Amino acid sequence: MTTFIASLIVGLGTYVSRAVFILALAKRRIPDPVMVSLQFVAPAVLAALVISVLTNDDGTVAIGIPELAAFIAGGATVYKTRNHILTLVVGMTVFWALRALL
Amino acid sequence: MTQSTGIDRSAIRRGITDALPLYVPAVPFALVIGLAIVEAGLDPLAGWSGSWLIFGGAAQLTLVTLLGSGAAVIAAITAALVVNARHLMYSAALAPTFQSQPTWFRWVGPYVLIDQMFALASIEAQGSDPVTFRSYYLAAGATFWTLWQLTTALGIVIGPAVPEEWNLEFAVPLLFIGLIVIGIDRWTKVVAALVGAGVTYMAAGMPNRTGLLVGALAGILVGTIAERFGR
Repeated sequence: MTTFIASLIVGLGTYVSRAVFILALAKRRIPDPVMVSLQFVAPAVLAALVISVLTNDDGTVAIGIPELAAFIAGGATVYKTRNHILTLVVGMTVFWALRALL
Repeated sequence: MTQSTGIDRSAIRRGITDALPLYVPAVPFALVIGLAIVEAGLDPLAGWSGSWLIFGGAAQLTLVTLLGSGAAVIAAITAALVVNARHLMYSAALAPTFQSQPTWFRWVGPYVLIDQMFALASIEAQGSDPVTFRSYYLAAGATFWTLWQLTTALGIVIGPAVPEEWNLEFAVPLLFIGLIVIGIDRWTKVVAALVGAGVTYMAAGMPNRTGLLVGALAGILVGTIAERFGR
């Protein structure tokens, strides 16, 4: 139930963020400083999430050599190819290989 | 002149054929969300309901992984909402195009305004009449929506069959890295990402994963400052 309610709240909030200018504020513009800040939402939050999902319950962050190497290999792959499938394949392979070796 | 009826069949075909190739990169994303719902130990149906309640992959993935990792519900919801705040930009950018559309479409359209839709719609908005735009938009949106529901459900179905020692949950941060890299078009975004990660790392001991919010805000703030003073 918690999951459903949480999804509903996030869904409503998401709809509002997509609809607010189209429905209500078509004549209004987002102030320039806000527009600039909005562009940094995605990189900042996604990077914070990378750390957060690798954080253990005791507050330590589980990033070792396999994880770092996989991020670098995956990042390079997506930069070169823009292909998420290939990125997952390369990143997971590096992760598995180094974890088995180290 | 608002035309509230009428369809453009060739625009519908174009909408579908333009959406299909754009969906391919989203397939692993959808599957990982399905897997993440299973890994998080959430009720599969409740987890999947986010696919149509939210219809936004990054926010849904954020929500299910944080809920599953024992984060405070409020922190998980806030993080997911912050992830989706970028849609304000899309809404503002497309608002003039939607001005010439009937009211029902201005209510329905935003529901499917995902990243890929924004990319397609901003191109289609140039020089197509309202009926053509609406036909194209609805066809592409319906295509993305249907595929998303199916592929996230598929991820939930195949999730339990994946052996635990594969550590497939690592695919989640890996996908986030991919999304960050694809979105980077100038150095200030690299700064925002590094600060976001670094501050979250330092704040990792904060209760209920609230350090994530501190890190994200720091990243946004420093990115904005760098943009202002770094030219």
